[in-house]
Amino acid sequence: MVQTPMTRERLFALREEISRLEGSSIVAARQEALDGESGYAKQREIHRVPLGIAALDHAMEGGLALNGMTEIRSQLMRDATAATGFALALAALLQRMPDEDRSPVLWISDAVTSMETGIPYALGLADFGVKPERFLHAAPRRLEEALWLAETAVESGAFSVSILEVKGNPAHFGLTESRRLSLRAKMAGRPLLLLRQSGEEEASSAPFRFLVEPAPATSRFLPDRSMLGGSIGNPVFRLTLEKSRNPAPVSLLLEWNPHDRQFLPAREPDHARSARKLPAHSGPRLPAPVNRPDRPQEVGSVLALERAS
Amino acid sequence: MRLTALDEVAEAIGLKKSQGVAEARAMCPRLEVMEEDLAADRRLLDGIADWCDRYTPLVALDGRDGLFLDITGSSHLFGGEQALLKDILLRLFQMGIDARGAISSAPGLSWAASRFGSGGVIAEEDMELVLAPLPVASLRLEEQTVASLQKLGLKQVGDLIMAPRAPLARRFGAKLLLRLDQALGRDEEPVSPRRPVASLSAERRLIEPVQAEEDILYLTGQIALSLKTSLEERGAGGRAFELMLFRVDGRVFRIAAGVSQPLRDPKRIAGLFSERLQAVHDDLDAGYGFEILRLNVMRYEAFDTPQEDFDGARQKDVSLAGFVDRVSARLGADCLQSFQLCESHVPERAVAANPAIHAFTPGKKPAAGVFPWSRSERPLRLFRRPELVEVSLAEVPEGPPQSFHWRRVTHRVSRSQGPERLAMEWWVDGADAQSRDYFRIEDDTGHRFWLYREGLYGQLPSPRWFMHGIFA
Repeated sequence: MVQTPMTRERLFALREEISRLEGSSIVAARQEALDGESGYAKQREIHRVPLGIAALDHAMEGGLALNGMTEIRSQLMRDATAATGFALALAALLQRMPDEDRSPVLWISDAVTSMETGIPYALGLADFGVKPERFLHAAPRRLEEALWLAETAVESGAFSVSILEVKGNPAHFGLTESRRLSLRAKMAGRPLLLLRQSGEEEASSAPFRFLVEPAPATSRFLPDRSMLGGSIGNPVFRLTLEKSRNPAPVSLLLEWNPHDRQFLPAREPDHARSARKLPAHSGPRLPAPVNRPDRPQEVGSVLALERAS
Repeated sequence: MRLTALDEVAEAIGLKKSQGVAEARAMCPRLEVMEEDLAADRRLLDGIADWCDRYTPLVALDGRDGLFLDITGSSHLFGGEQALLKDILLRLFQMGIDARGAISSAPGLSWAASRFGSGGVIAEEDMELVLAPLPVASLRLEEQTVASLQKLGLKQVGDLIMAPRAPLARRFGAKLLLRLDQALGRDEEPVSPRRPVASLSAERRLIEPVQAEEDILYLTGQIALSLKTSLEERGAGGRAFELMLFRVDGRVFRIAAGVSQPLRDPKRIAGLFSERLQAVHDDLDAGYGFEILRLNVMRYEAFDTPQEDFDGARQKDVSLAGFVDRVSARLGADCLQSFQLCESHVPERAVAANPAIHAFTPGKKPAAGVFPWSRSERPLRLFRRPELVEVSLAEVPEGPPQSFHWRRVTHRVSRSQGPERLAMEWWVDGADAQSRDYFRIEDDTGHRFWLYREGLYGQLPSPRWFMHGIFA
């Protein structure tokens, strides 16, 4: 087919329009390259913050979106702190950026989750790499209040990141509400992390969804760079990018270094495997109590069901 | 049972206060007796006092059935003292309240004239003239003093004015003369208002009452605009505002709102009350509408006008302050908290959560917490109160548990760090508080917990274990 320059131009503009609607960054990068000639590229705002892990950054099209919603999910309530940790690690990563230096982090907590797993602890935040003096904790009573808070916070543009904690899959927080929040975040150009504790996979308007599970921590380094056996070092998360444009889910172990505020790839630690064989403490292993249930055993088999989204 | 109050008909029959009910019934068999409800009386008086705020902000309660209004500087707004008194009494009469009042330059004289005299406005030069024929009871004296004065034949205040002061003071104490001087305006008597007086206030009186929320907010914005110049003159901005809504039927609503930074922008003040109205929506019954709207600035602080810069950093502070104000106005000040580090080594006391509206000052560089003492890592989430954990086997005397049972699940410990021994604060908890040994524990599934043992194995037969926090 012969294309006149006119039609090519139009086609190009339409493609661009579509990709802009979809929020894809590939064309945005091309646009940037084009703009570079006219000296626009420098003024363009950074919309992605790389996590520093090549596989993850590639799957997330350059890193964590600064103008949109990202969902982080934990399967069980006892994994809630791992998800908390990953969300706060992202917050710390954003706080590290020089131009966001003064903006605080807003944590909108969920009442039930606070009761079950406690509230964020300022000293712990400091140890984790988040500045507690730049951390605001909101404790709304109802979900509607929490949603209003999240929307207002994102709209105000005063926070480097707002984290909305939700327990489970509440009926009043469906696709409509999530779309609304997502659009607000996009319009305001502010990141919003939706932290779904002990929730199922659910269709939402967040382009990316992580599943976070705890994993054994790394060991501490000794001054001569050898590992101290049996010590508990940096936290490690088992991270699965459940939802993305990439069809294959990315799953990896991620170590968070609170001191340098950076993610590091972690490999399956040796001591975790050996720990199952060898108890840490000598002495007889007590049998599981008979008068009450032990930890719930796996029931049934896992089927390859399709994901909800 | 005795009579404490009478209506006009009962007074006409000849009943008296503090008469026995049986005696009164004997005099008038059809007597209707109602039990006195002090709390209800008090509520009514409070309601009337609220209503009287329209005349002056300085309203003080006087005993069970009286009000003092300090109308210094406000009477001219109502067309003079005479017109003011007439207006108050007429409006109260229309509401079904039998009220008497007097205006004079001494609270004591007003009290005497309204209760024992004919009331009205008493000029400065007529004070002695009005007071002289009144009974001595009008001086707010104790009953005993009044009785003994009457026994001596000193029945009217005029007799006391004539009498030599020294013997009176010797016989009845200084209080009698103090009351006399106060009634004559020779001695100062402060009237303490029942509510804190606003630093600044402005109001709108409406001929047509408003009911709609938009109208109220629009008027609030207008009033805030008229307050702006006074705030600018003082170089100040308001920190605490109060919107008073006077309903047509006499009910008064007060809606308070605070801000985190001094504020004088009318739009933002109106916006603040828009959030507050959302929050109190159900409690605010507009009824037939509000006739007076008043905006009080309860507290103001210096308003520093910073120079705008180009990088927009200040804009961010403004939007943060706006966010904090909006949330605090709508969801209450306790909803939004910031953490302050305190000087304590006990984990739950080391951090205090304060309302962000008081503690969080955007724009200023927050003071970073300094921890001079060495400590191990703290958990990311801390329980409000530690939860009891069942530990079946732990290393004695001061080792970590091998496995523990918490929330119906057994966790097998794979790695642990500790103990970190924290003695409790004897100046708070007492000398016999048990010290805590904290362990950082990882179980075989990778969950990390913060456990502690209360007490030592040597001292207690079986020390208890608690879960205090969870690490990421």
